[in-house]
Amino acid sequence: MRGLIAPAVTALLLTSLAACGGQSGPTASKGPAEKTKIVIATFNDFGYQSLYQEYERLHPDIDVVERVAAAEEHHRRIATSLATGKGAADIEAIEEGWIGQFKAQPDKFANLLDLGAGQIKDRWPAWKWQTSISKDGKQLGLGTDVGGLAMCYRTDLFEKAGLPTDREEVSALWSTWDGYIETGRKFAAAKLPKTAFFDGPVVMYRAVLGQADVGLYNTDDTVVVETNPAVRAAFDKTIQAIDAGLSAKITAWSADWNAGFQRGSFATIACPSWMMAYIQEQAKNAAGKWDIAKIPGGTGNWGGSFLTVPKQGRNQQKAFELASWLTAPEQQAKVFRSKGNFPSTTKLYTDPVITQFKNPFFNDAPVGKIFSESVATMKAQYLGPKAGDINTAINNALGRVEQGKQSPTDAWNQALVEIKKIL
Amino acid sequence: MIRSWLYRADVKASPYAYVLPFFLLFAALGAFPILYTGWVSLHDWSLLEDQHTFLGLGNYAELLGDSYFWNALFNTVSILILSTVPQLLLALLLAHVLNGRLRGQTFWRVSMLLPNITSVVAVAIIFGQLFGRDYGVVNWFLGLFGVGQIDWAAGTATSHIAIATMVIWRWTGYNALIYLAAMQAVPQSLHEAAIIDGATSLQRLMKITIPAIRPTIIFTVIVSTIGGMQMLAEPLLFGGGQPTGGNDHQFQTLTLYLFEAGFGRFDFGYASATAWLMFVVIVMAAGINYLFVRRIRSS
Amino acid sequence: MATLTQTLVQVRRKGLPRPGRLTYLTLTAIAFFSAFPLYYSAVVGSLDNSALGQVPPPFLPGGNLIGNIERVFTTVPFATALINSAIVATSITVSVMLLSTLAGFAFAKLRFRGRNGLYLAVVATMMVPTQLGIIPLYMLMADIGWIDTLYAVIAPNLVSAFGVFFMTQYLSAALPTELLEAGRVDGCTTFGLFWRVVLPLARPAAAVLGMLTFMNAWNDFFWPLVVLTPENPTVQVGLSAISSGYSVDYSFTLAATTVATIPLLVVAMLFGKQIIQGIMQGALKG
Repeated sequence: MRGLIAPAVTALLLTSLAACGGQSGPTASKGPAEKTKIVIATFNDFGYQSLYQEYERLHPDIDVVERVAAAEEHHRRIATSLATGKGAADIEAIEEGWIGQFKAQPDKFANLLDLGAGQIKDRWPAWKWQTSISKDGKQLGLGTDVGGLAMCYRTDLFEKAGLPTDREEVSALWSTWDGYIETGRKFAAAKLPKTAFFDGPVVMYRAVLGQADVGLYNTDDTVVVETNPAVRAAFDKTIQAIDAGLSAKITAWSADWNAGFQRGSFATIACPSWMMAYIQEQAKNAAGKWDIAKIPGGTGNWGGSFLTVPKQGRNQQKAFELASWLTAPEQQAKVFRSKGNFPSTTKLYTDPVITQFKNPFFNDAPVGKIFSESVATMKAQYLGPKAGDINTAINNALGRVEQGKQSPTDAWNQALVEIKKIL
Repeated sequence: MIRSWLYRADVKASPYAYVLPFFLLFAALGAFPILYTGWVSLHDWSLLEDQHTFLGLGNYAELLGDSYFWNALFNTVSILILSTVPQLLLALLLAHVLNGRLRGQTFWRVSMLLPNITSVVAVAIIFGQLFGRDYGVVNWFLGLFGVGQIDWAAGTATSHIAIATMVIWRWTGYNALIYLAAMQAVPQSLHEAAIIDGATSLQRLMKITIPAIRPTIIFTVIVSTIGGMQMLAEPLLFGGGQPTGGNDHQFQTLTLYLFEAGFGRFDFGYASATAWLMFVVIVMAAGINYLFVRRIRSS
Repeated sequence: MATLTQTLVQVRRKGLPRPGRLTYLTLTAIAFFSAFPLYYSAVVGSLDNSALGQVPPPFLPGGNLIGNIERVFTTVPFATALINSAIVATSITVSVMLLSTLAGFAFAKLRFRGRNGLYLAVVATMMVPTQLGIIPLYMLMADIGWIDTLYAVIAPNLVSAFGVFFMTQYLSAALPTELLEAGRVDGCTTFGLFWRVVLPLARPAAAVLGMLTFMNAWNDFFWPLVVLTPENPTVQVGLSAISSGYSVDYSFTLAATTVATIPLLVVAMLFGKQIIQGIMQGALKG
């Protein structure tokens, strides 16, 4: 009896091996005309489903397959498959927050300029195009959407605090961040119970820093947090707002934050275009209470993605053609209409699809116009490999100051130490 | 003659056949990742680069000099103690009660297991709401007794308590069931004799049950120690998916620290060194606890 | 020998005093806290997203559950996911229960050279943090060609050090050595002992182990997310695709998690019965 077990286990292993060998074999040849399968891996909701069918109709030799996952897992999977050399899709979508990391290994991606990207360069505003150029000048990605920044605010709370509620007038209050803080002081003077002027430091810091020419990195991938005055200025400006007692001290994406949209824990929040959907989702009962004005400083972007073509793929040219088609203005307009993902192509910013677009939840604010203005004229800021982690360290520093754990100087110094560790 | 030879072969050799399947499968799929991690830990090994320079013990030296590593160790041990001690004691009591003559046995047993069945995603969403500062149910409840609004995630002690609560909630029933299985094998006659002698329920638990299930208690203590030292899900979820464990690393556990290096910065070498150093720490922690519970008197 | 097991069993349970009301009250309270998040998931899953922000929170279900569940099945291939998870969790559970009982028996009651060393090795393997294993394991799976197949999820979990440790500790106390000696005298081979004495006695522990293994396999997401694609997901991979997005619809997500939990509840009830009936039935067979 005892002898039976090991052979049984071996047999089990062998059968599973055999069974699998059959499955993973080539499945390419179906029918007379051989179809090329292009796998595209995206995350969250790119709104591409109906476009794939359209593309397959236009190109009968192509079979498009999509993989969708949550953002974190999606990017972790890219890193794994690039490191092991196996398993990447033909097209991998990469979010802005991760693009710096993947740009640091340009050899793993096709240089899209070699595949013909040079001809479509003019579709995008310069900054979007440049964001996916690697240090050695390779074009790794084609822009999909962007996350232009505006300022969402509660008209009901503004009214109670005796501030103007009309979005033109409100925008005029804060053409600069100083104006924003000044407005906040007036708001705070009204002493509304359980209501602060803004949610917490993360978005504000990010918006201010995003308006600088140089951010955390120089274009040669050196970190300049310590020497670039713009970073410290963004930090200090945010501290100034906290010190004025304007922050609700709520962590972004927490339960209190979600509830805060509905219950009016804060009167303003810098919001990227994609956050409209978030606010609508969280605060269904608050329809008509929120409105959208311009962002102080005029421009800004948070988020948006790129389509890249990993070198592992066997059909890079065909993958590029699909990526190019998906990111063309016509397709971006379709995605915008169905899903609201804000387009990244300049041409659409003057198109009625965008300029006429209003959002009823936000008092019919002309959001198409507001958001396109914030990204059309934006300047390019180079994003280095570890920008995400560096920002986390600075955000944590701001959080410590906000909670009274540290003085701004101590918090800043600790952030610098942490950043050195990251590098 | 043949019979006795067969008998001897059976007694001497067959034990290996029983443990062989485990070791074969483990060698095939479990050992390689562990050894590979050890090799990686000796290198400057970024997942984003193809060049991996040999560092020797460089990663380990850096780790030992990193105050955040020690901070993570402190947090881990603190949360471990806060959660494991009450959790195992509660589980033992619960199992003792469930081992009695209860009506609706299956119902109670399944309900003890519900926390562990509940999807982690749901747990994250619901506990996030329970421990909210402004609109959390816990603060609302404490407010009835005049306690002010607590920002659970902000402080070291408060965040450890909140996470330990989550752990206790999730794992008490799980351990209770493990104890219960062991208690089923304790001969009833022992209990009956004790009852005749006038022993209370608690006395029977202390004098009969605990000594009789000693090996299982050792098992749960060691497994909970290992599980607690490797705690990832609860603090990760509590921090909204951020591996820094709060803005001052106040609830960053060792596994979060490892996670941050490995999957945040893709610094595979450093993360691997962390994993191996954690292994050493866990061996020590489990060893200490083993010596501790070994003192339970055997029946 | 069979008589021995039987006498051991027959004396069970009759003579204990029945617990009082206080015990039931405490148990009810614990059951309430245990069940609350699950119940609350179903409630929020039956309402819409704004339910989470309300104070006091809603405690009664609304009418959206069916609609949300329908959405779950149309958004991701959730039926495939349920079947895949059932296959994965069942294979792993059967294998772990069987191999752990085998090894547990040997470690607990048989004498052989190197036993303590091997046993220590089993326990030690649990102490290595496994999160980083995914990179080398991924390389291994890619070489075998198992990426995107269920084999990649099943194979690494077929054995569990936890299971071996658990069964060993349990059997070392629950299995009277005299019983084994009596069996030997009756002329049982080692496997005969395993089959007739160990298996019946191991039943409650094996049932608990099976239940815990099934739950873990069902709820595991870290590794499946790396090796599986959303076209051929397990339940947790499907859930991850649902709960992602710039704008998270909690009501929808919680409806999905509720559906994902139902099979586990059924399994828990099946195993829960086994734990009680375990020893008795086994004894009759023996």
